[in-house]
Amino acid sequence: MTTQPYISVKELCKIYPNSDTFAVKDLSLDIEKGEIFGLLGPNGAGKTTTISMLCSLLSPTSGKIIIDKHDMAVEVNKIRKIVGVVPQDITLYPKLTARENLRFFGNMYGLKGKELREKIDFYLEEFGLINKRDKRVETFSGGMKRRINLLAGTLHNPDILFLDEPTVGIDVQSRLVIIDFLRKLNSENTTIVYTSHHMEEAQGLCTKIGIIDKGNIIATGSPQQLISSHTDCESLEDIFIKHTGRQLRD
Amino acid sequence: MLRDIAGLAILFIMPMALILIMTLLQDNTFKALEENKIDIILVNNDAGELGQAIEKGLDEADFFDITDSISDKQVTAKQAYSLVANGKYQMAIVIPADATSCIRNNVTKQIASQIPDLAEYIPIDSTVKSEKLDIQILFDPITKSSFKTSIQSALMQFTSKIESQLAFKIYGKIFKEHLEIDVKEPENFGSLITFSEKYATNEDSRIIPNSVQHNVPAWTLFAMFFIVIPLAGNIIKERESGSVLRLKTMPGSYSAVLLGKISIYFFIGLIQAALMISIGVFVLPLFGLPSLVLGSNFIALFAIVAAAALAAVGFGVLIGTIATTHEQASIFGAVSTVILAALGGIWVPTFIMPEIMRKISVMSPMNWALNGFYDIFLRDSDIYGIAPYIGLLILFFGISVAITYLYNKYNRSIS
Repeated sequence: MTTQPYISVKELCKIYPNSDTFAVKDLSLDIEKGEIFGLLGPNGAGKTTTISMLCSLLSPTSGKIIIDKHDMAVEVNKIRKIVGVVPQDITLYPKLTARENLRFFGNMYGLKGKELREKIDFYLEEFGLINKRDKRVETFSGGMKRRINLLAGTLHNPDILFLDEPTVGIDVQSRLVIIDFLRKLNSENTTIVYTSHHMEEAQGLCTKIGIIDKGNIIATGSPQQLISSHTDCESLEDIFIKHTGRQLRD
Repeated sequence: MLRDIAGLAILFIMPMALILIMTLLQDNTFKALEENKIDIILVNNDAGELGQAIEKGLDEADFFDITDSISDKQVTAKQAYSLVANGKYQMAIVIPADATSCIRNNVTKQIASQIPDLAEYIPIDSTVKSEKLDIQILFDPITKSSFKTSIQSALMQFTSKIESQLAFKIYGKIFKEHLEIDVKEPENFGSLITFSEKYATNEDSRIIPNSVQHNVPAWTLFAMFFIVIPLAGNIIKERESGSVLRLKTMPGSYSAVLLGKISIYFFIGLIQAALMISIGVFVLPLFGLPSLVLGSNFIALFAIVAAAALAAVGFGVLIGTIATTHEQASIFGAVSTVILAALGGIWVPTFIMPEIMRKISVMSPMNWALNGFYDIFLRDSDIYGIAPYIGLLILFFGISVAITYLYNKYNRSIS
């Protein structure tokens, strides 16, 4: 008897309106519970499209997504309850304070009252933002916004966390806080799927890597497996370059 | 909320200022429609009863401002013609010098022809030159036909009364002289029929329509519909900032998020209406305008306000969903609100619109709501009386929200 993977994606395709090319084509992958899966690829490879379909933001043109035995096409609300999403853009209300933003998104996940207040204060403390809790988000630096953006997607302790380039364009300190936080979440059995351009970061963080290009997975495995199977490559970056080439992508 | 003072001003203070300014501005226009008198020149060359009766009648009619002299000199027929021709007066009435004698002769002749046996005893004044009485009415070419009709009717009434009085006198003289029957002058001549005016409202309402009763609900609705701009802007800003992406990945449908938005803006609409109606009741009287009389059906009033707020919010949600940029939403929201207001009779009341515009006006939700207000304020309608308007406004809201829902659903399926 075979057990179904925690996240199972079969022959996923996406063609955007007014486009005749596939953003994602016949993409299949399996992710086990408790993994940190890194989806790596050059610009325009289909990372954001894939993760957007996985977190129910986009409808696939065809293909199947099963998460925790729930078919996305049928039971999307059950999936949304166990999923947290941290989009690539800062998806916060700039005119609201850090605490107001977190309270709003916490409420949307059904959290309320004392439990929510305590949770918000705890995480703001952890993320070094407790003294800024009543400042409007629009006054925050990029790194501070990224941290709040992450918190907004994780307040409800999701079983699965989807992150689209959560560390892009921020200072090293903020990046380290975020990476540590992701490790901590994973140690509490949260499955994490994230996209990144940072090969080194992915190599250190992920338990499994999928390299995507032209809308399809072209290499997959743990960082160690990938490196050992590519004898001519010393690092994940070498493997990435080997598969995707050196030409510029827009 | 206090952190956004400009937002508060836009939502609440500006609409209140709008009501105040527009009602004050339009008060004179309404008075012109309802109360202004017609300026006329009266050249009365007749010293007899007819001239006096016309002068008295016009004066008592309270509908005309009569001028009979300029610089303490009696206006002549020639001057009157010139003043009207120059557009200084809308009309002039010139009564000829022998008007009373002429009408008396004409009546006498008619009676003589009725009783030929006594004709030789009925005296006819042979010194009167005119056979037919000709009272001239001079009109400025731009005078409204309704004014012309008014003055002609008034003159007909006065002359008919004099004719009847003269006929009674002549008959009385004949009865006395030839039949030896004493005939007294009739008492209260001409007052056998009375005309009483009353507004046709339910429950003996004594509410009198005025500029306040039009302008307060009209501009309240206009301001309520302007909520379209901040609401649509909010939806677009949420979309542009990406917050909506996160909301769309959360449990529960995005429709629930929109429902929350609708509830908040609906509540804002109610507060706006309450504040603006309060301006009509409490502030406008301080500026010498009549106080807004709300009628007696507060449930109906709340229902029409709520339905109008829903319609405005539904429209805002629709625009915010379909518009792709903030600029599109602002311009389309503002222009469409102005068009709906113009069609709905907010600026120019529908009763003075051309017929074709009156027909078109029924397509505007602001017209439905305004009619609902009119019915409550002026006709003391209850909630059943205004149910058709409430139904239309809720239908408008329902259609707007349904299109929004379908558009979002379609958009998600293709994006």
